[in-house]
Amino acid sequence: MTAVRRWNLTSTIVLAVLTAHVLMVIFPFFWMIYSTFKTNREFMRSVWSLPKSFSLDAYVGAWSGGALGGYAVNSLLIMAGATLITVVLATLAGFALAAYRPRWIPAVELSMTAAMAIPAYVALVPLVVMLRGAGLLDTHLGVILPTAAFNVPVSIFIMQAFFNTLPRDLFDAARMDGASEWKIFLRVALPIARPAMFTVAIVNMIWVWNDFLFPVVFINSPSRKTLPVGLTDFVGEHITNYPVMLAAILIAAIAPLVLFVFFERQITAALIGGAVKG
Amino acid sequence: MSADTSFAKRSNRAAILFLSPALLFVFAFVAYPVAYAGWLSLFRWDGASMPVFLGAGNFVRLAGDAIFWQALIRNILVALSAIVLQVFLALAIAYCLVRIVPAFSRIFLFFYLVPVMVSEICIGLLWRFMYNPYFGLVNAGLSAIGLGGLKRGWLGESETAFTAVVVVMSFTYLGLYVLLFVAAVRNVPESVYEAAEIDGAGDFRKFFSITVPMVWDAVRANSLLAIIGSLKTFSLVFVLTNGGPNHASEVVSTYLYKMGFGSFEMGYAAAIGFAQMVLTALGAWIAFRYMKRIGAGAGAWS
Repeated sequence: MTAVRRWNLTSTIVLAVLTAHVLMVIFPFFWMIYSTFKTNREFMRSVWSLPKSFSLDAYVGAWSGGALGGYAVNSLLIMAGATLITVVLATLAGFALAAYRPRWIPAVELSMTAAMAIPAYVALVPLVVMLRGAGLLDTHLGVILPTAAFNVPVSIFIMQAFFNTLPRDLFDAARMDGASEWKIFLRVALPIARPAMFTVAIVNMIWVWNDFLFPVVFINSPSRKTLPVGLTDFVGEHITNYPVMLAAILIAAIAPLVLFVFFERQITAALIGGAVKG
Repeated sequence: MSADTSFAKRSNRAAILFLSPALLFVFAFVAYPVAYAGWLSLFRWDGASMPVFLGAGNFVRLAGDAIFWQALIRNILVALSAIVLQVFLALAIAYCLVRIVPAFSRIFLFFYLVPVMVSEICIGLLWRFMYNPYFGLVNAGLSAIGLGGLKRGWLGESETAFTAVVVVMSFTYLGLYVLLFVAAVRNVPESVYEAAEIDGAGDFRKFFSITVPMVWDAVRANSLLAIIGSLKTFSLVFVLTNGGPNHASEVVSTYLYKMGFGSFEMGYAAAIGFAQMVLTALGAWIAFRYMKRIGAGAGAWS
């Protein structure tokens, strides 16, 4: 990779500029975290100062009433359902795109690429009509199905990129032994694909957790709302207590951040893999 | 020969079987609804009573709808700003991280990616504090450097709302492109830089005459990604301004949302989405072709 470079004036200036810039980018998050430890009075007195005391009242205030917990459970259910569907479909399809090359495969790849470029809101009105017809409007499943479908194309490409790295001899050897294609997928491909499936699962969990457009349109009942949607209601109701509001925002933001901290390598690999085809 | 054809048959069948669940699913929830939007766009419909067939009526109305065109132009401005403030800025940052301060690249990359991971709703809510007219950090910062006269309610005034939203977008999505470019810049072989260093090239020269041409494919791919993302943009605008005040920061998605689910003009909303998609495809294609040509030019300079 890169050879070791001698430290010089340029390096110092670049480091200083980048540090200032990255601080600007993440300051809102940093501010959110320390402000949640303030009381509302302290916040009102000076909005931007560091907390003088260490109060957990804001978290108690945000969590009490139970609304956020309910939203979090809804988000969790939708996240689990959509991620599961996407991973299963993308693994099957990604394997097929890598292992078999009939002449019509490029057409499939092209249509998947096109699907990735379609803004979800184009399908919004028809999806409402379809979901209502199927009795799925205002249900978790009604959010899960279209959300998963819109995440399938990019996930297929991430899986395909992984299966492309496997030597073809691996499958040919199993074929020599008389294994069916399904057996080859199940016994040979699937066990080694587990890390890639996990990677696809992690990024999908983050995307679904953060998704806003489908849940805000498809769900009306307060008891079924997801965290980002419920958060906008919550903020409207707690306009007078800023630390509580910020604690609620933090609670909504924390799950993807925790995933990112623990699975940074997988997430960055998936984002790079998914973008190459984009 | 016969083994070959039988394998071709077998792989054809297997490919169909493995692909069909995903294809059917994407067809049912992406392709079919999009086509259905084209159908619905021919009707006036409030979502409840009988739809009234209008033919091209919605599109005629759309052609004369200044709010739609302004929203579309804003989507394009978002895309252009994304290419400059996200893609090209990210390329410069990636060069610095990989070539100048490699020891710190990992930690910087981590922090640049934090906003990419967090929900846009959270980010938007936080930035509403930053822009708050009374105690917001932006105004406080202006006062601190003696520019108190420039203080204003950034998100609440028509002149500044859209720019304020674009600034948040550029901060939020930048990290994704830094990540993608760090990967691309790392793939440039060291020997190319060494040759340039023997010729006495500084970082500026190396960036413009080696890195930029060598990663031009990534620049093109990332620009395309930024254009597509910009045309899809919804959540940040929704939570920051909801297109307001008085449509001053309206983008196509927020306008469609208001039309479909505020005014219950479902047919018109479908027409907005359908027209946007066709224009998106056209725009992306033109940009792609155009950048291919610039790319050839950039290759020739090096």
